[in-house]
Amino acid sequence: MIELDPIILGDNQFFGINHMSQVKAQQLAERFNDMRSIYDAYRTAYDLGIRAFMLNSNDKAGEICDYFRAHRSEFPELMLYPSIPYPHKYANLVAEQGIVGAIQAVLSGHSATDLLGFAGKGLSLLTGDVARIMTMLIDVELKIYRKLDFKVVYLQNIVTDLLLGLGFKDVFVEYCAHLEKKYHAVPGFLTMNVPRLAAYLESCGIQNAVLCGSVNKRGYLMSPDVASYEAYFRGMQRYPMTAMSIFASGAIPASEAVDYIVKQGIKSIVFGASSRQHMQATLELVKGHA
Amino acid sequence: MNSKGFNTASPGASENGRMLKAGIVGAGRMGITHFAILGSHPSVRVVAIADDSALMSRVLTKYRPEVQLFSDYEKMLKEVELDLVLISTPPHLHGAMVDASLNARTSIFVEKPFTLSGEEARRLTARSQSLRGTYQVGYVNRFNDVFMKAKQLLDAGILGKIFSFRFDMYGRTVTRASSSSGWRGKRKTGGGCLYEFGSHAIDLMVYLLGKPAEVRGSCLTPVFSTDAEDIVRTNVRYSNGATGSITVNWSDESYRKPTNKIEILGEDGKLMADQHELKLFLSRPKLSFVKGWNTVNITDVFTPVDFYVRGNEFTRQIYHFAERALDANQSNLSSFMDATVTQEVIDMVLADAGAEK
Repeated sequence: MIELDPIILGDNQFFGINHMSQVKAQQLAERFNDMRSIYDAYRTAYDLGIRAFMLNSNDKAGEICDYFRAHRSEFPELMLYPSIPYPHKYANLVAEQGIVGAIQAVLSGHSATDLLGFAGKGLSLLTGDVARIMTMLIDVELKIYRKLDFKVVYLQNIVTDLLLGLGFKDVFVEYCAHLEKKYHAVPGFLTMNVPRLAAYLESCGIQNAVLCGSVNKRGYLMSPDVASYEAYFRGMQRYPMTAMSIFASGAIPASEAVDYIVKQGIKSIVFGASSRQHMQATLELVKGHA
Repeated sequence: MNSKGFNTASPGASENGRMLKAGIVGAGRMGITHFAILGSHPSVRVVAIADDSALMSRVLTKYRPEVQLFSDYEKMLKEVELDLVLISTPPHLHGAMVDASLNARTSIFVEKPFTLSGEEARRLTARSQSLRGTYQVGYVNRFNDVFMKAKQLLDAGILGKIFSFRFDMYGRTVTRASSSSGWRGKRKTGGGCLYEFGSHAIDLMVYLLGKPAEVRGSCLTPVFSTDAEDIVRTNVRYSNGATGSITVNWSDESYRKPTNKIEILGEDGKLMADQHELKLFLSRPKLSFVKGWNTVNITDVFTPVDFYVRGNEFTRQIYHFAERALDANQSNLSSFMDATVTQEVIDMVLADAGAEK
């Protein structure tokens, strides 16, 4: 079974995302407007011993990956956890061009080789082979991470949870198969519906997968409710899990938050921090509970 | 294993044994989202979809073969006995589709804006009132945890008499000339910033403060669009003397996602809110709040939903609809009648700006 890094630095703080306050989100967007301040934060995290970074394939991720490749000697043990796709890119494209137009724009908006390849693959759009379209989109999204180490690729929760609701079983199966076969990576799923998704993946016969979902005692971003999550954690946990939103965007004191995670038997967390002080405090808390 | 029994896209029995059959008209971005949410409700089964996109019908045939597909919604309504119809098509098509669904005696959820005119909204509402279904419009902000809290506080009189207000909405939907192609870029098909974004801001105002008496100084300004506006500005007056402004801009790239911002000033203080956070300044302690500044975050006031796709409010509005369809005696939080008031205010803005529908 895969060993997930116990502490993963998330990236929401770098991209102006905060699930509790748009004022905080705005402050973060300003603070990390300059790419150098993002690189500084990554260097600080690495100095402190954090080896794993979750990185969403958004507008800035390509540049960040370029930076990691160019400064490989400073991050020799770096392990990325890509999360794909960048949902807002697709949401905006779909609003502009419709669903088919958005897919075409993404698949054709890359290099000339892609474009040639796409002409041959365009048939997928006409045959409605969502699984095939998805594998092509995965390849496009994962290009930015080339030559960097990753062992898990996460599907963003908006996509995971949409597919879960739609009940497109074969798409889940195909997504997992593609990641395992082409990237030797474990398929990961970000989700706001951990118990439901776990039950569904089992029903799809998917055994090798990891989940990442919110875990905090307030039940923030935990559907259907805290009790169902706790029941799932008490049960036969099939899927290794990384907890996110453990501080509920700052609503829960750090020590209580980590306590709760440890009690649930969770061994991996992804957290957002923008200062050395906050990173260090979180690291010490987690180590103190280990 | 789970403390909740999940109904992941497969038919099951509901708690009271009644299973509602749902049909969806329009499988675009919102239609698909609603399909995912509706399908998770233990008392609803999505049995039919009407959409004229070849891609969508092939996708659905392959992955959800048990769902009946139609390219024509009238055929769907004629051939399938449905309890619920969910309409998420370009707004200029809503009127005829609502009429046909009323003829078929189904409960109806229709995306916002309800229609393209107050007159049509009134006619459809009047028709629905003689029938026994539940009739809802997709004004999703009415189901947002923070705005629901704002409503509760205002109804409790937290600000006392209201003097002035702002209802704003910003986003980055149209940031190039090409972004306004398709129905969203044309007012005639229900596109443009007023119908698409402005309807949300206006509806939030109507939800929280009621219907205004007068609209003045409306400007509908295009930036990138050629057949509709990208910026809406207007001023509003209530019969009790309260005045305020509405500013809506869907061409503002500094916003990562669509955001509503409200500010309401009254004799006892000020309330400011967006989808995530509410701030309250009070001149004296009131209810459970202190004098001066108070902050309420979404993490303080949210209630979880059974299945999360795009935010609690999206699930909550669809479950609200399904539950009212099971028991139409309960009042609807975003009814045809509510949406008609919003539509009438949109009409006031259009008339004031001297714009054609």
